[in-house]
Amino acid sequence: MIDLLIVGAGPAGLRAAIAAAENGLHVSIIDEFVKPGGRLLGQLHEEPDGSWVNGVEEAERMYHRAIQLGVEISTGVSVYDLAETPAGWSIYTTDGVRESRCLLLATGASETPIPIPGWTLPGVMSIGAAQVMGNVHRVKPGHKGVVIGVNVLSVAIAREMQLCGVTVDRIVLPAHNLISADASNPEKMMESLLRLSHLAPSSLMKIGGKFVSPKLAARFYPRNGFKIWGIPIQLRKTALEIIGEEQVRGVRIAAISATGSVIPGTEEIVDADFVCIAGGLTPMAELAAVAGCRFHYVPQLGGHVPLHNERMQTTLKGLYVAGNITGVESAKVAGAQGRVAGLSIADELGVLSAAGKEKIKEAVDQTVHTRKHALIQFNQGIEEARHALYTEFQQLTDKKISV
Amino acid sequence: MTNKETVICRCEDITMREIQETVERFQCSSREVKLRTRAGMGSCGGRTCRGMVDKLVEQLGGPPISNEIALSYRPPVRPVSFGVLGGEEK
Ligand SMILES: Cc1cc2nc3c(=O)[nH]c(=O)nc-3n(C[C@H](O)[C@H](O)[C@H](O)COP(=O)(O)OP(=O)(O)OC[C@H]3O[C@@H](n4cnc5c(N)ncnc54)[C@H](O)[C@@H]3O)c2cc1C
Repeated sequence: MIDLLIVGAGPAGLRAAIAAAENGLHVSIIDEFVKPGGRLLGQLHEEPDGSWVNGVEEAERMYHRAIQLGVEISTGVSVYDLAETPAGWSIYTTDGVRESRCLLLATGASETPIPIPGWTLPGVMSIGAAQVMGNVHRVKPGHKGVVIGVNVLSVAIAREMQLCGVTVDRIVLPAHNLISADASNPEKMMESLLRLSHLAPSSLMKIGGKFVSPKLAARFYPRNGFKIWGIPIQLRKTALEIIGEEQVRGVRIAAISATGSVIPGTEEIVDADFVCIAGGLTPMAELAAVAGCRFHYVPQLGGHVPLHNERMQTTLKGLYVAGNITGVESAKVAGAQGRVAGLSIADELGVLSAAGKEKIKEAVDQTVHTRKHALIQFNQGIEEARHALYTEFQQLTDKKISV
Repeated sequence: MTNKETVICRCEDITMREIQETVERFQCSSREVKLRTRAGMGSCGGRTCRGMVDKLVEQLGGPPISNEIALSYRPPVRPVSFGVLGGEEK
């Protein structure tokens, strides 16, 4: 039996492993992807100061540190089930059953699809799939693509595809239907676009800075959009249908009003050999659900998240969560949470000194600080939503103690 | 092609129209939609369509999405072979 098994070798899992192993715990990590690093492997960003964040290099650094500390890392292995035991947890993997005293789920987030007509044609993929093809496998997703869905991820990844030498013809909104809802509404999307201004200050301020409200900005938004890094972002165009027989041939688009209704007679077909759908992210909490964790539905965090506290404990003994499984945030926040989890687990297993316990508090403060200064904010209201969640957890544990 | 013919559950080939008709006819929850149409019961275990089914049901006036996970997760959460389930090691 080991001390700590971690599912997921993204920034949260790796940082947790390092923190726990530094305190003498015997740690293993399991990840189903072929390489450790999680979503970091696809990331390449330019910081406001002009320096570049290279996810691959960051993942490598953490991986080597973990290995140096004696952490065992198995890749290409999936966890498909788990069960609480008197001594800890049994974890069922495609490479046998593992036993561990504590378990950390750091499984990240998955993408939310937006179904529009033709979305099941070959050549249509999620924006994250295009990111993995280009940045991880070094394969172009196609020659000329259309991105459907305007959000922080689609704009950032469109830029990465451009750096890979792929033409991103334009970014448009998805057709309106019961599922796309707000994502098909220019006014609503203008609000979220204005929050990206730090990513491409000069071009976004040009459009956003002129207007006092997102409503006005959506109304006066240029029909053909404006360009960020040369890629037209067309908030007043909608993708009605992806067309093709055997595979994607193009997208039928139309102009829309500021509130999203299609303007008759404006339909046209844009040629493309691939299409990316960007519907946003949602925490991937399937294993926490199977384990029997209590859940909360928190739209600001991306959907259903296992109830947890600032120390990353769930409602189940010995079961911890960290990273995007607790809410969709940037890689740096995920890493900071991982460190908190690693230290909390070391504390539960009784290996932390008094000075070590101080470190937990520091790590929690560091997470809050990182969140405040994150370059990428996936949603609004994250801090408030987290505060409410932690209060709820506290009330629940207080209740348990009093009965 | 129209929105209504758009496939929602890719494993079981269930369209938006079939789900909409089911909710309208039976005034039902996502769980009942799943049991009546098989949406979310295919080989991926609902990994792709779970959220879409919940949202459709909510938008059509069914029970709103709550803290409870309506379409429960069941192991195995990944497709695995009988050999693996039976304890065969790599
Ligand atoms: C498509 C996409 C693009 C993103 N782009 C950015 C970006 O550009 N910038 C940014 O800051 N953030 C981005 N994010 C957010 C991103 O999730 C975080 O930045 C960060 O990587 C989260 O770290 P994590 O450790 O929580 O999860 P991840 O990095 O996602 O790692 C989770 C790991 O768990 C593994 N795993 C999951 N389930 C199992 C299982 N059952 N068995 C075995 N292994 C499992 C996965 O293979 C994965 O490697 C993106 C997220 C996605 C989904």
